[in-house]
Amino acid sequence: MLKFPKSASADSDTPDLGRRGFIIGMAGAGLTFAFARSPLSLADPTGAAAEGAFEPTIWYRIRKDGHIVVNIAKAEMGQHIGTALARIVADELEADWDQVSLDHVDSDPKWGLMVTGGSWSVWQSYIPLSQAGAAGRIALIEEGARQMGVSPDQCRARSGRVIAGGQSISYADLVRSGGLSRSFSEDELKKMPIKPASERRLIGEPAKALDIPDKTDGKALYGLDAKVEGMVFGRPLIPPTRYGATVKKIDDSAARDIPGYRETIVLEDPSGTVPGWAIAIADSFHAANIAADKIEVDWTPGKTADIDERAILDRGRELIDSGDAGVVVVNDGDAKKAFAEADSTLEAEYITHSALHFQLEPVNALAREKDGTWEIHTGNQWQSLIIPTLAEALGVPQEKVVMKTYMLGGGFGRRLNGDYAVPAALAAKALGKPVKLVLTREDDIRFDSLRSPSVQRMRMAFDGDNRVTGMEHHATAGWPTQVMVPDFLAEGISGGMYDPFSIQGAMHWYTVGANRLRAISNDLANETFRPGWLRSVGSGWVNWALESFMDEAAHKVGQDPIEFRLEKLKAEGKNAGSSPNSVGGASRQANVLRRVQEISGWGSEMPADTGLGVATTYGQERNMPTWTACVARVHVDRKTGRPTVEKLTLVTDAGTVVHPDGARAQVEGAALWGVSLALHEGTHFEKGQVVDTNLNSYTPLRMRDVPEIEMEFVDSTEMPVGLGEPATTVVGPAIGNAIFAATGVRMRALPIRAEDLLRVMRGDSSAPRK
Amino acid sequence: MSTRFRINGQRAEVDVPEETPLLWVVRDDIGFTGTKYGCGIGLCGACTVHVNGRAVRSCVTPVSGVSDTEVTTIEGLSQNGEHPLIQAWVETQTPQCGYCQPGQIMQAAAMLADFPNPTDEQIDHVMSGNLCRCMAYIRIREAIKLAAGRMRADAGEDNPGADHA
Amino acid sequence: MGRTLATVLVVVLIILAALFFLIRKPSIAAVETPGASSFSAEQVERGRVLAGIGNCATCHTVNEDDPYAGGREFPTGFGSLYATNITPHPEDGIGNWSREAFVRSMREGVARDGSYLYPAFPYTHFKNLTDEDLDALYAYLMTREPVAYTPPENALHFPFNLRFLQWGWQLLFFSRDPLQPDPQQSDDWNRGAYLAEGAGHCTACHSPRNAFGAEKKDKAYAGALVDNWYAPALNTEQPVPVHWDSDTLYDYLREGQTDYQGVAVGSMGEVVHQGLERAPDSDIRAIAIYLASLAGPEEADGVDRQAGQIIEAAHERTDGDRGYGENVYMAACAACHYNAADNPIALRAELSLNSAVTAADPTNLLRVLLQGIPANEGTPGVVMPDFARLDNRDIVELAQFLRKRADRPAWDGLEKRLEELRQQTGTAAPHQGGSQ
Ligand code: FES
Ligand code: FES
Repeated sequence: MLKFPKSASADSDTPDLGRRGFIIGMAGAGLTFAFARSPLSLADPTGAAAEGAFEPTIWYRIRKDGHIVVNIAKAEMGQHIGTALARIVADELEADWDQVSLDHVDSDPKWGLMVTGGSWSVWQSYIPLSQAGAAGRIALIEEGARQMGVSPDQCRARSGRVIAGGQSISYADLVRSGGLSRSFSEDELKKMPIKPASERRLIGEPAKALDIPDKTDGKALYGLDAKVEGMVFGRPLIPPTRYGATVKKIDDSAARDIPGYRETIVLEDPSGTVPGWAIAIADSFHAANIAADKIEVDWTPGKTADIDERAILDRGRELIDSGDAGVVVVNDGDAKKAFAEADSTLEAEYITHSALHFQLEPVNALAREKDGTWEIHTGNQWQSLIIPTLAEALGVPQEKVVMKTYMLGGGFGRRLNGDYAVPAALAAKALGKPVKLVLTREDDIRFDSLRSPSVQRMRMAFDGDNRVTGMEHHATAGWPTQVMVPDFLAEGISGGMYDPFSIQGAMHWYTVGANRLRAISNDLANETFRPGWLRSVGSGWVNWALESFMDEAAHKVGQDPIEFRLEKLKAEGKNAGSSPNSVGGASRQANVLRRVQEISGWGSEMPADTGLGVATTYGQERNMPTWTACVARVHVDRKTGRPTVEKLTLVTDAGTVVHPDGARAQVEGAALWGVSLALHEGTHFEKGQVVDTNLNSYTPLRMRDVPEIEMEFVDSTEMPVGLGEPATTVVGPAIGNAIFAATGVRMRALPIRAEDLLRVMRGDSSAPRK
Repeated sequence: MSTRFRINGQRAEVDVPEETPLLWVVRDDIGFTGTKYGCGIGLCGACTVHVNGRAVRSCVTPVSGVSDTEVTTIEGLSQNGEHPLIQAWVETQTPQCGYCQPGQIMQAAAMLADFPNPTDEQIDHVMSGNLCRCMAYIRIREAIKLAAGRMRADAGEDNPGADHA
Repeated sequence: MGRTLATVLVVVLIILAALFFLIRKPSIAAVETPGASSFSAEQVERGRVLAGIGNCATCHTVNEDDPYAGGREFPTGFGSLYATNITPHPEDGIGNWSREAFVRSMREGVARDGSYLYPAFPYTHFKNLTDEDLDALYAYLMTREPVAYTPPENALHFPFNLRFLQWGWQLLFFSRDPLQPDPQQSDDWNRGAYLAEGAGHCTACHSPRNAFGAEKKDKAYAGALVDNWYAPALNTEQPVPVHWDSDTLYDYLREGQTDYQGVAVGSMGEVVHQGLERAPDSDIRAIAIYLASLAGPEEADGVDRQAGQIIEAAHERTDGDRGYGENVYMAACAACHYNAADNPIALRAELSLNSAVTAADPTNLLRVLLQGIPANEGTPGVVMPDFARLDNRDIVELAQFLRKRADRPAWDGLEKRLEELRQQTGTAAPHQGGSQ
């Protein structure tokens, strides 16, 4: 296909790009002349230094040249997770940071549950990785002491050296001398003490992320960049419904004269992941792509072919109305009684529309069988979830499936669900050769595990003094965990299992008297599409209702919205918090709220049609609270109804912040996601599919709409908790509340569209109830 | 159909159907995978390369259209990452997932040729075509200004007044 | 009944036959192809330049390896015409045409064999050429490489396929009198008029035509659709907000682009880059002076300020719009087309000023959107991608937004026109998702 001139012509001042191994033997072996290293590893895999390395735990090795390679089992999708994790190790190890590099590992049972999501990575890894680092330090000190002829307690370690008085010896020398062989059992590691916060030397200090340089010059390799010898390309023909479709007939006659087009195969999928799929196979992606456009497939669709957004939302309402649907998750006091005895009540319904992941790299996967093992080359967030499915699809034991990890061109939860790897594997099996499956953007969207539309009903009971005496929260949406990982469902109070990720954010730390929370799975949503986890998952839409409603309640009783909340953040009883994760409880949420009140200009005079709105959250989970508060300043154009977010002020208490600049970046990104989901994104179902499949009509936030952001982190040495999502959850309600402050109009549906806001401002209709 | 052009200073001749998007030729046939695919319809900028120094969305540019031109991809923007924009990108720690960033940098490089001292408004208009799904926008803007300032200083322009005065 | 009809038919046939003999032109004897040595080098060179200004190659060439061999199709309302072979090939081309036969064809629209030529061949303009220039053209053509190639037969509908009817057409719409210089005007102006109205035959594209395919004299330079490109108005009704002047026209005709009005693409791109390229600067300047005068007296200055205000207003409309089309514009177009109000850059073609947007007809904008501009057309070395993969709504809303942004009234029938152009250019709308 590719020809280069045989010899350089006279005008050529540089050598010709000769025909070199453009297609390489292994993803790890370097790509073109530009790449001399493995796709993800930032370590230099070459050289004899790797031999004889000291490996006290599975998490890292110290090579003879003193170089420390930290194994990263988390997916890199923009959070610079490797840097944060390696700094945790290096801090305890007292390593020289300049000698540290990363190795993003392939799937292997020894890494335990391989999942990157839920803002869990640092929180989960902090203790084990600290202990692993401490273990290595102890071993190195022991050996150093031995070699220097002193006792270990006369030694300390710093910057990759063991030091005793005036003498010292480097880690490199210690490893080279060959005397190190100690390894630590899991039990030993679990008992390993870690340093007090005052001794931290890397954690919390500024550092440049190790993954960034390769992301600025084209070297970073993503799933889309994977290549193996002999591979063919595939583009799927995606059926009209997510489930239940079957192929009746395929006519590829119009594609047959496309150069490079080979054939179209219909997948047989024992795992049931991709029912009704066919794949156009060709020698190049371009050929597969245009072939797929020309191939006519006649499907018998599944039974959801006519479902639209309204039907899904109406089903949600119906489920809420039927009192026995769903699972009771919180049942404090007697809510029924509270409402029966209330002097007044407030009730409101909130909805959110379908929202797409739209991670910038459309999903793709390269599959091949090599020496009896199936290799899946792709970017993925939850290897442990999809490997059993792949094994089932391929009809092989799980040990025969390995996922080779690449950088993710965005995760946001889309790649928690690795379903896109299945058709690649099935096609490779059917053809007996490696297949690289690439979804076009439109394919990616039609196959997205999107954020389900949701309906929530909120109720609050007040006594004669306008004190809150009871609260009810009913939330319904499609449940990703029910569909994909039933093992992860939690047991409700009333019996029955619920998806904890689809109600997170609602187990709030407010003291409100009696409190009842009910989570309901929307069965119609689950049947129509495969609901997914989308950045901030449940909290992303649950908190929209909760924090908008808190605002409505504050206005109902005529109280300042921040004061109203502070009054309820009492840190007593179940809201007192506990060690190690939620020390301080609600008082820390009150603290960030007070702080945002101070620095956001809360209460100051606003220009016309401009308002401040507040929202707060504990983040993703009660057991991993990331205390967050946000004030949005929004201007509404009364002529067009268009809201403009002028400024966001955010205060976060995430305990110890391991990698401060990375943390800021996460909060920036998460907050802007919040703006985007509130004002710019959102789609809806028509005829069993979402209507917006590309950037012509799906319009995530772009640069010109970025507001000013001011943010602060609370100085803390508490347990580090997740940062990738909480900011997303507060921005939407803060914006809605600011719009109310600016215009007196309450919006209860996300996204907030200018047309809708305009209509309501003009009094043409009440807040939209679509 | 064979098309000849130069890419990153080297000569290339590809024998592919003439309507093949430059993006896939650059990535799959030639092997410069730094240029990314995001939308395929010219609306995200992930596939931005330079053709004769001007930014072009390669996913909607047929390879025949660049016949006899000089194509530059992120790999060819500078030899060892010494381009002021790349340095500024690292300094401001701009990339998150990084997938959009080659396109962002190529677009920014072309923009600075036309707007050496860009205002916020100019940056917003020119760069809004480049989607960053991680929403690293604040840092992208900051990095562009940082690099622009340095490039002007290097060009010996010690009076960073407004453009086109 | 039958008899009456038969009688009428016979009478008509007799009249037609009589006419046929009356209006028939004599054939001019075939000659041996004149040898190259019968022409001077200067003559050939002058002919080469004139052939460039006349852009002969564009119409008479299909395949670049066989220049002037004809065969290009011209779809018209009357059916399709095919350009003839004008290489000196004795059978297929004009190799056996004498100078006299050549001159007659250029001035009278009659082929060597006496048959009438269709006015798609602009003898209505070439009649203005001087003897000397016609000699030079003859010399140039006769010294080309002969190509053995017979272009397809014209496929005109009855009765337009009857060539002798052109006699009537000429009677109605053609005068043989050549253009006279205007003593009131400068020499440059007169030179420009001679070139533009003669060899250059600018109005052949830029003037609307009547139902018989003749240029409307009273609408000269009022703009017209030709070959699925829109040749914009150059008279006082020209749509560009910053009117052409002799300098911008000079830049445009010389380089193919200007800061304010746009870039020559499509047929005009060929005129500039394949034809006018041969002409000396002085001739280009002369044409520019003449054409600029069509729009009335030139504005002395203030053009920059005027353009700046328009661009500023366009920016405000952009920021205030936020509709569907505006989103597409920001995502697809602004990166390359956004300009500072005080410094529009020709290579960033400013769309609030651009003739493709401001023209009365959307064809040029739609075609460029559907087909893009390869690096070897338009501005040399500059490529514009195509946006054919956008769906019809995207393109229609984008086009309407661009009109709004340029403060122009909405175009009618956009969707229909877009579909037609998709058909004609073979750029079908995308099959959304590829597998519905
Ligand atoms: S992939 Fe080319 S613009 Fe999106
Ligand atoms: S850094 Fe991920 S899309 Fe921009």
